[in-house]
Amino acid sequence: MTTLGQLVFSGILIGGIYALMSMGLTLIFGVLRVVNFAHGEFLMLGMYGAWALSTAAGLNPYTAALIVVPAMFLFGGLVHRIIISPALDKPHLVVVFATMGLSIFMQNAALMVMTADLWDVPPVFGSSVAIGPFYFKAELLIGFAIGLSCTIALRWLIRATYLGKAIRATVQDGEAAMLMGIPVPRIFLITFAGGSALVGLSACVMMPLFSVFPTVGLNFVLIAFVIVVLGGMGSIEGALLGGICIGVVQSLSSYYVAPAFGQMFFFILFLLVMIVRPDGILGQKGAATIGIKD
Amino acid sequence: MLEIRNLEHRFGALRAVHDVSMTVKQGELLGLIGPNGAGKSTLYNLIAGALKPMRGEIIFAGRNVTGWPAYRIARVGIARTFQIPKPYRQLSVIENVMVAALQREHSVARARTLAEATLADVGLSDHAGAPVGTLTVGLLKRLEVARALAMRPELLLFDEIMAGLMPTEVAVMTAFVAGLPARGITVIWVEHVLYAIMKTASRIMVLDRGELIADGPPSAVARDPAVVKAYLGEELSLA
Amino acid sequence: MSLASIRIAGLPNGFALMPRRGAVSLFEIGLLIACIALVGIPLPQNLRDVVVLTFLYAGLALAWNVAGGYAGLISFGHAAFFGIGAYTSTILLVHAGVSPWLGLWVGALASAAAGALLAVVCARLKGPFFILSTLAAAEVVRIGALNWASMTGGPEGLSILPVSSLANMVFTSKAAYAALMLGYLVICYAVTMALQCSRYGYFLLAVRDDEDAAKAAGVNPLLVRTGAMALSALLTGIGGTLFAQYFLYLDPTFVISPELSFQLALLPAVGGLGTAIGPVLGSFLITPLSELLRAYLGHAAAGLHLVIYSAVLIVVMLYFPSGLAGALARLAGGRKPKL
Repeated sequence: MTTLGQLVFSGILIGGIYALMSMGLTLIFGVLRVVNFAHGEFLMLGMYGAWALSTAAGLNPYTAALIVVPAMFLFGGLVHRIIISPALDKPHLVVVFATMGLSIFMQNAALMVMTADLWDVPPVFGSSVAIGPFYFKAELLIGFAIGLSCTIALRWLIRATYLGKAIRATVQDGEAAMLMGIPVPRIFLITFAGGSALVGLSACVMMPLFSVFPTVGLNFVLIAFVIVVLGGMGSIEGALLGGICIGVVQSLSSYYVAPAFGQMFFFILFLLVMIVRPDGILGQKGAATIGIKD
Repeated sequence: MLEIRNLEHRFGALRAVHDVSMTVKQGELLGLIGPNGAGKSTLYNLIAGALKPMRGEIIFAGRNVTGWPAYRIARVGIARTFQIPKPYRQLSVIENVMVAALQREHSVARARTLAEATLADVGLSDHAGAPVGTLTVGLLKRLEVARALAMRPELLLFDEIMAGLMPTEVAVMTAFVAGLPARGITVIWVEHVLYAIMKTASRIMVLDRGELIADGPPSAVARDPAVVKAYLGEELSLA
Repeated sequence: MSLASIRIAGLPNGFALMPRRGAVSLFEIGLLIACIALVGIPLPQNLRDVVVLTFLYAGLALAWNVAGGYAGLISFGHAAFFGIGAYTSTILLVHAGVSPWLGLWVGALASAAAGALLAVVCARLKGPFFILSTLAAAEVVRIGALNWASMTGGPEGLSILPVSSLANMVFTSKAAYAALMLGYLVICYAVTMALQCSRYGYFLLAVRDDEDAAKAAGVNPLLVRTGAMALSALLTGIGGTLFAQYFLYLDPTFVISPELSFQLALLPAVGGLGTAIGPVLGSFLITPLSELLRAYLGHAAAGLHLVIYSAVLIVVMLYFPSGLAGALARLAGGRKPKL
């Protein structure tokens, strides 16, 4: 029983971190209607950044986040300017290929610069924290806390601030928003950069828990996609919900199910969600079937 | 030819079409009018198979076609136009019409001949090879009509084909539509440009807030107090 | 008498200078002659390899284009069909001694069935949702193949004995393989051209351009799309078998990889979707480039060739969205080609 409890709670905690990782993806899709296929590589970049700061300057990942997050914001803005923005008024295929190309570019650039070796940062906290009969790594708890706070903060941002209202207006009707004086291209830029910053934050949070290597993004982007479709593309709360579900599922299946089928399991799960409820639990109805605004 | 019984459709809490029953006889030119939000488009889409009615029946030429998908409705002899033209953007004008013609003519060559004839019919022959992107709104609407005609339908549904046309174009189109019943095509025409429809229709039906409030010859409908009230005092007159 | 007035049965527009729908152009004929020459003339072995692969990929690109360019079904999972075709014929050969010429058809049918299944299952999905689903489905196939070791040999892979004979579809000379692949290319090209002028082809393009209008014209989008995906999968599966007979070794990680799926979509996209000549041009440009980059830079710094390759890809996609075929048509006549 304790084992089950341990697995479930660990799953919830890692789920919160996965949710943080997926938030940028879902936000970018919700606003720009673009799936960033290089999302995993953005994560990889953030992780290498955290690692570099740890190795070169001895910063722990949480402190490094103060540098990595703004840097990823700028990086996202740059990518948006150079790649995403020119692709937006072209057939949808262009942005798909462009982001896929970017993904391959970043993976191989990382391979050239950092080699294929796995790199780690030293653990921030030595021992685990005991809560009741369960033990959790402190980094896991902190990561979850950060993920949860971000969900709450983003929810507040979307609902209460002018920027949030502008974003919501853009999501509902970009043309009308422009007529109202909302600078839609800038909203796109801010959203893409902001989403990238979120990925940067999650990279810092994940660095104490996982190793980084050039193709680390591939493992996590799959999880991110499943979370995002499960929770609903474009929904922040959905990302949290989806993240927790997937975290628990992964935690349980890694213990009870053979590892060979672990990955396949996620793909099948993805397909099932696509077939049964493509809009996800909290997603915008019709996004998957009627089509995104082209 | 077409019989509708107790058709009902809602969007959430909004009753778009409520208990509508009507019949259309072969060779009629039936006009369907009503103020904005009356449910004309919904009724139109229900007949065309783009929407499945929640309740009620649609009988066409003796067959119960209620709930049939749009492509089956099209194959059985009902053709429709779209209010905002939906051309096949990467095909030329004649190829747009050929897609429709291929429903009747299985040979591409014969479909091309039919398409050429149809384009001549609506006056688009000069633009046959042109890409669709070069057409004006008026010409795009004519293309919509051509595509519907090329299917050699028994019943033709027009959805606001006059919207956005200049007065000269309206006159040409009106005369064209008026001539259709003589060619054996029954027409149901949803329209906002009232003077065109009042002049040519043999019968007018008026929808208001999802319900049928009038059904009769144009002169009678124009003077019907319920109809005048629905349009909020707008005086309808036979132009 | 102008060239345009020469009529050929089945091709309503006769001859043309540049590729266009419904016509056989001088450009295409010239290209075919050049390809036949490439098969015949003596070349160093590594260049022969490039020729063989270029022809194969051109055929595969044309196959992908049937679904992606004509039906608008952008799939990043086509490697699965490639793998199904390759493994089916190879398993039949290795485990049951069935000739690849026969196994080729079984593999093609298996791929077609898989393609139809995919189209039906993902029928309601649009845009990135469809793309992601194809990715996921292909990965399921790959992992399945990896773990079904009794049939597929799992991670150790499956080998074909290099006993050359026509019946075994194994050849000693690369020229023979080049001829085989060219044959495949020509067949895929012919199928594409026939599709463009056929009733079914018109319906396909209509569904791609405006599904609602197509429905109003009596076209059943699900049926049409499923057919296109099945045909695309079938042709891809044949390519898989041919590849297996050339490479003589199959391994799931290599054959059903996302990288291959990406390549199969990339070539038509760069060459020009929805045209017959596009995928061919795409392959003729990218495949040699990719092989040469891999050969000369692959050892210099791991990953450099892919860095260059992907950068080129991004640039081409952003600045030449209608691909090489579009650029070619603009050079030739000033207007985009009739698709």
